Amino acid sequence: MSTITKEFVKGLWDELPPFRVLLGLCPTLAVTSTAENGLGMGAAVIFVLTMSNLIISTIRKIIPPKVRIACFIVITASLVVTVELLMQAYAYPLYQKLGIFVPLIVVNCLILGRAEAFASKNGVIPSIADALGMGIGFTLSLTFLGAMREMLGNGTVFGTPVMWESFQPASFMVMAPGAFVGLGLILAGMNAFNRYLSRKKGEKEPVSQNSTCASCGACNSCGQ
Amino acid sequence: MREILHMLVVLSVICASSGALLVNLKQATKPQIEQQVLTYVQGPALLSVLEDRDNDPIAERAELNGVTVFPAMRDGKLVGVAVEAFAPGYSGDIGVMVGFDVNEDTLLGIGITTQTETPGLGTRIMKPSFTGQFVGHDLEDMGLKSGDGDIDGISGATYSAAGTVDAVAKAIKIYEDIKPKLETVWKAS
Repeated sequence: MSTITKEFVKGLWDELPPFRVLLGLCPTLAVTSTAENGLGMGAAVIFVLTMSNLIISTIRKIIPPKVRIACFIVITASLVVTVELLMQAYAYPLYQKLGIFVPLIVVNCLILGRAEAFASKNGVIPSIADALGMGIGFTLSLTFLGAMREMLGNGTVFGTPVMWESFQPASFMVMAPGAFVGLGLILAGMNAFNRYLSRKKGEKEPVSQNSTCASCGACNSCGQ
Repeated sequence: MREILHMLVVLSVICASSGALLVNLKQATKPQIEQQVLTYVQGPALLSVLEDRDNDPIAERAELNGVTVFPAMRDGKLVGVAVEAFAPGYSGDIGVMVGFDVNEDTLLGIGITTQTETPGLGTRIMKPSFTGQFVGHDLEDMGLKSGDGDIDGISGATYSAAGTVDAVAKAIKIYEDIKPKLETVWKAS
């Protein structure tokens, strides 16, 4: 597999942002009450992440190391305001629903994390591949969680009724606690699936996620 | 020293280009955003008070005396206008879109655009049982029955009802002020 493909694919499963690396949880939990909101939020993140990775990897050699975080934040914040203005101008209903979470993309760890861990150390093409992979992974995760919550909590997916007629929606699922329950169920499901895969391959059960989390390093601290 | 200068220059250049980009973008999207806000915030109330029309009141809006006026046309003739007015309710301003019939000088109806009243009590000003009283009302006697008018208040939400009526009274005043100018802007019937 070429490097570019590898950088792209890793964001789709191995380092899937919200469900494997657990980055960007704030929007993941807050806006996924419907599949449509999840998709809209994901699209905004794809744009910001790709543009920020592109810009940062282009100018990475002239950014002084001591003020790099400030530079990254300025670039991300400008891109987020751009998205906010465009969303207000062309997708106002979506803007009304996402509300405060659009400006909060600035502090989404995913974007700063990719800038610091990847774009500031790699060339333009791999950085874009990385951003697209991570962004699409993020979008699919949010849409999936949103669709699941919308289906159980409202009986619809993307506004279309999908459940049988006598189905009683558990409105708990579209409220805040439902986000945590949904996320927990998905994490448990993914862990079980990964364990099953590695057992099938005859490998040892993974003790912890040994993904290359250069940006967090939390897994090293607990002496795994 | 060289390092500090380098940091200063790079950070300033990045900030300046971000600023320049955002200023331009803000200006470029301003009309479009205004249009969207009108469509989604005032739109629903506006379209409900100007029901009998065949034009797009938002696209054909005009400023008269510093107030945005939305026209309702039928067969190319002006049949009604709507203006928005604000008055303090129980908590914060109540925005009311009021439609006027320009031929009869009566109210076509009202729609609440913005309000922060107590849910369940003050928000009853948005119910048809209250707003319906304004349909067909003339320009005189705009007030609550407890005062000098003929509108039934809402028990438990006196301030909210009074605020709404105040806003409607203000809208009537605006309408009377702009009425002579309407014909010059839109062809009257």
